[in-house]
Amino acid sequence: MKSENLAALSIVLLLSCTSSAIAGELKVIDPWIRSAPPNAPALGAFMTLENHATTDQSVVAARTALAVDRVELHRTIMVGEVMKMVPQESIPVASRSATVLKPGSWHVMLIGPEKVPTMGDKVQLTLVLGDGTEQTFEAVVRHGKMNMEGHSHEMQTE
Amino acid sequence: MKIRQYGIGLVLPLVLTCLAIITSACEQGPKTPQTEAAFMLPKAAAIADFTLSHLDRGTYDQEDARGNWSLLFFGYTHCPDVCPTELFMLAEMMRAIEQDPGAVSQTPQVVFVSVDPDRDSLQHLQQYAGFYHPSFLGVTSEQPTIDRLCKSLGVFYERVYYRDGKALELDPAATVPAGLEDSYLINHSASIFLVNPAGKLHAIFTAPHDPNTMIRDLAVIQASWRS
Repeated sequence: MKSENLAALSIVLLLSCTSSAIAGELKVIDPWIRSAPPNAPALGAFMTLENHATTDQSVVAARTALAVDRVELHRTIMVGEVMKMVPQESIPVASRSATVLKPGSWHVMLIGPEKVPTMGDKVQLTLVLGDGTEQTFEAVVRHGKMNMEGHSHEMQTE
Repeated sequence: MKIRQYGIGLVLPLVLTCLAIITSACEQGPKTPQTEAAFMLPKAAAIADFTLSHLDRGTYDQEDARGNWSLLFFGYTHCPDVCPTELFMLAEMMRAIEQDPGAVSQTPQVVFVSVDPDRDSLQHLQQYAGFYHPSFLGVTSEQPTIDRLCKSLGVFYERVYYRDGKALELDPAATVPAGLEDSYLINHSASIFLVNPAGKLHAIFTAPHDPNTMIRDLAVIQASWRS
């Protein structure tokens, strides 16, 4: 817990140092899609969302250029030893904060892909934000390693 | 002091009994493996008889489990997050064992049990499980058989239906609303169940899991099993 607090503090400090340069921007960092079996009925997309603005932001919808049945915002919640998958209306990103979309937590679900992309493929994603703006970017398909290491600047909004 | 009231005749046997318990605990010490993550059952527990189905094998039952260390994980292929995470973790564990076969005394058999036979056909299930590692078995059965096995191991799962992002409160006996038959999610246990070569539940790995910790615990558990 202590290291998480430290990490949280470090990102707040980091953000306060850099926010003047990119104020008002929601930054999408390291977007990726978990490689999945060719017959996978659902794909997970993950990334870190950094809100450098002084106002709270949220993701209210997502789209993809990939042919899929639908895209949903989800969150996995551990209750006891049971994992609950809960669709979300939005993913909050508090001001001067970051929300990490990662396995076992917040994520974007691409449901019913016509063809499952393979390792290294790039998939175009669009996030629709609460203020009506959109962010379009490419997410690379890679192995679904729990991205716990190398991402010490993690801060989750509850 | 209260103890004086009981006299030495009562206290001495008590002390001896305590000593006996401590001594026997020490004797059992080396046999009780010190695991990092695995929850060891005080005594391996019998599992209710089960016969599951597998694409190539036909069946997968208690006899198939005997002679092997098996890691059972329960889920479904429509699982958005937990199953891909866990199956990938187990695949990493297998790759680590392949790199260093001496890390464990016997390579475990990973078995992915689908609690969603309505949507997971045997072919679909094996293709899905086999993608993560070719040795993985994807098995399932009729819902009552699955339920019996889950109950026996203490695995929890429940179907949940959502409409417009909102969970629906459904009576378990109620018919599923039209249009939602195929769109349900399943909340389920994220634990991995270790079955020993005698076909009994030996230990439970609760989430979160780490491949290297799993391997170290397996090695310790297997070593204690032989002694």
